[in-house]
Amino acid sequence: MGRDRGSQLVLEIAAPPADTDPNAIRIARHFAENLNAVGVDARISTLGRTDLRRKVLINHNFDAYVGQFQESEPFDPDAMYAFTHSRFVTEAGWQNPFGLSDVNGVDELLARQRRSAGDDRREAVHALQQTLGELQPFTVVAFPDPLTAVREDRFENWTDRQPLSVGGLLGLERAGSVAGTEETGTADGDETADGNDTEDGDGRSIDGLELLGDMPLTDDGEDADDGTLRLVTTDERITENWNPIAAEYRRYGTFTSLLYDRLALIDDGEVVPWLAAGWERTDDATVELSLRSADWHDGEPVTAADVAFTYEFLRDTSMGAAETPVPTPTFRGRVSAVESATAVDEETVEIAFDDVNEAVAVRALTVPILPEHVWADRTAAASIAGIEFDAETTEAVVTNNEDPVGNGPVRFVEATPEESVTFERNPDHFLRRSADDGATSEDGTGPLAEIPERFRRKPAFDRLTIEVMGSDIAAVQAVGDGFADATVSSLGPDSVTRIGREADARLVAGQSGGFYHIGYNARRAPLSNPRFRAVLASLVDKQRLVDVAFDGYAEPAASPLAATPEWVPAALRWDDRETDPVQPFVGESGSLDAEAARDRLREAGYRYDEEGRLLAPNP
Amino acid sequence: MSRLLSVVSSLALWVSSALLVASVAIVGPRRLYDLWNDARRRLWEIRVPFAGLVAVLIASAVGRSSLQTVSELFGLRLTWAIYALEGNFVAWLQTTFATPQVTMYFSSVYVYGYVFLVAFPFIAYLALPRAATIKRLLVAYALNYGVGLALYTVVFAHGPRNVIPEMVTSLLFTHNPDFMALTGEVNEPANVFPSLHTSLSVTVATFAVLTRRKYPLWTPIAVWLAASVVVATMYLGIHWLTDVVGGTALALGSVYLSYRFVDGDADRAEADDDPDRSEGGEATSG
Repeated sequence: MGRDRGSQLVLEIAAPPADTDPNAIRIARHFAENLNAVGVDARISTLGRTDLRRKVLINHNFDAYVGQFQESEPFDPDAMYAFTHSRFVTEAGWQNPFGLSDVNGVDELLARQRRSAGDDRREAVHALQQTLGELQPFTVVAFPDPLTAVREDRFENWTDRQPLSVGGLLGLERAGSVAGTEETGTADGDETADGNDTEDGDGRSIDGLELLGDMPLTDDGEDADDGTLRLVTTDERITENWNPIAAEYRRYGTFTSLLYDRLALIDDGEVVPWLAAGWERTDDATVELSLRSADWHDGEPVTAADVAFTYEFLRDTSMGAAETPVPTPTFRGRVSAVESATAVDEETVEIAFDDVNEAVAVRALTVPILPEHVWADRTAAASIAGIEFDAETTEAVVTNNEDPVGNGPVRFVEATPEESVTFERNPDHFLRRSADDGATSEDGTGPLAEIPERFRRKPAFDRLTIEVMGSDIAAVQAVGDGFADATVSSLGPDSVTRIGREADARLVAGQSGGFYHIGYNARRAPLSNPRFRAVLASLVDKQRLVDVAFDGYAEPAASPLAATPEWVPAALRWDDRETDPVQPFVGESGSLDAEAARDRLREAGYRYDEEGRLLAPNP
Repeated sequence: MSRLLSVVSSLALWVSSALLVASVAIVGPRRLYDLWNDARRRLWEIRVPFAGLVAVLIASAVGRSSLQTVSELFGLRLTWAIYALEGNFVAWLQTTFATPQVTMYFSSVYVYGYVFLVAFPFIAYLALPRAATIKRLLVAYALNYGVGLALYTVVFAHGPRNVIPEMVTSLLFTHNPDFMALTGEVNEPANVFPSLHTSLSVTVATFAVLTRRKYPLWTPIAVWLAASVVVATMYLGIHWLTDVVGGTALALGSVYLSYRFVDGDADRAEADDDPDRSEGGEATSG
């Protein structure tokens, strides 16, 4: 922002190019055109994924940006805690990138929805959404339908909800009919869960329990890579960086979640005890968790000390060495709900929560558990030549985490930066090991009693490869041509029509939590003024954008919680509205009433020169 | 990967066939025969500019990714300035002329035609008895790449298909995803200014015009192909008009400098005893 053209207000809108995100650039241009119409010199700066994130989340060096929220699935309202609480204003990462200070009681509402339960929490969440709608630290545009192209001749059981989530990928089944192996039961049944039982029944009788892990059924007499799940993406970051806490490199963190288990897995809103086999409350604020027997990918055992370390480490990745703590740039809100984590013995952890309700506590259990013997050496201060960091940071935050040592159901094999990455099934993972350990798992009392059947003895693939493609269209084409089984990254409306043309490919439109929004840097005048931001919000014709830019594959929204309608008050639901209930679009559908918008800016105290240019306010 | 391999082998097959035909038809059997007999001496003669070009290409291959990082961090972000300057010209070009046949033509020209266009002058000018033209060509190519790489680093900008996707379809990738596999290997989406496709094509066309007395048949072919490649870069949604103008300027500048660097007269003395000289002099420096 500056005054370089006379004293006209200049706003730079940072957005990814269309190859990276086919939708964001259209939102940015719509916004820029309407800004220009009201006399602002708006310029779009197209930036790659990591540059954009670094600029916005780490350096806070932006005016406005267009992007997606980092939750892939509909999420608990507490996700707003990190996103908007003023206590995080100086921190780098997904925590309050807007620099929103505590006005109108946002902090108090965020704290209240954490503490309270039932109607009290609902009330706080309603009030929070109303306040955020008025303050507009960011303008929610729409929740996209996360479009995915999948083909089912090699893997089936793709969920229509979240095919590319951890749960979705682990729930996949090998397609029996095409594999052409001894797995006979699956060919005619759509109900793949049943088919799976048959497969494994056969497997046990043929190969014996011990062999299952190392010698997958389909290996013998089959093409070697038949068990490879091949995904394509336009997002090259997973081929370069495997750091589960790096804000610039993680989109939803799906693949790092396959590398690093969390204590609990939330799948379709269902809480699944994951690395923790179970937990019980010991008092009001304390929970005792018992860990499953598990190993890190390097053979070291996963211990309660690793869990205790992780929670302390994520709060301050310098472990006390830096003058001020260097907290994790992702999962910050979740970690802030934990007061302390203590190892009781090798397999038992006690977690004390900071006066939070159960939903928030469970959310706090969904952070990647890190091996202490690897990450304890990454606490030193870091700086990368040429890359400016506003605040002090640590090795842990900036490392690419090459050869990641995780504990999850897949482990790292190899990668060619910007081209591809390969993971393989972890044969020692509890999903496989425990399932094979004893027949007790079938009667509901074994070690996997709490794990849904669809995850047992999974993943079904031997290997997982992710190949980078130049655009969403090329990615869809690769699935259509049989070079890949599914697309990972978001697809634009242009690629949708292609899926219909490909006989073997199918389009899955699930549910997303990753709402598109325009974020404002409230550290800079006039964006610091909520009245100014409210006028900017009213320049966005969300319904029109959904119809045109998204080709209908999105839902316009007023609230960041619109994906979980049970939390949204009726006054903020979009339903059949034409325009935003809080910040209605200035104009008729599609065409901006520039004069009315200018009047609103004048009312808010902004001035124009004789040529109709909005003047930048004096500092 | 197999997709990339198939498009590369198809490219190699078509371009080498075209080179073979063009060599016979344009260069002629007699010059080819002389080239065959004299190849070693002629290659030795051009060793300096050849090594220069190879050095630039290696530097480009090795340094490109780190220069790209420098560009991301410190480059001038000109996407919006370029768009503000020329508006929807590329979109207009596409909506006015796009038909499946035209798209097929420009896609093929962009990939096959371009490689042929840039490769053929090597043979044609090496087949000339005097080395001045081939030396100048090599110098001009090296300048194109070297200066182009420097400009890529200074300017950070995305092309039309990345900025106005609803108006400019990425035609190459939409209709020929196989080509995409190839160009995705070679091209960085944030390197649009200047258009190297344009600059190398215009360089070849300029040489073709300057040497029209040697290869009268080549001149119209080169000019036609070069013009097609130039239009293709915009028609396919890859480059802005601004990139094309920049690429043309880079080409003309490179050719001019190559004539400054490689002296035609010094070379003439060397070739004095060559009977081929009677066929006509080199075009002189422009």
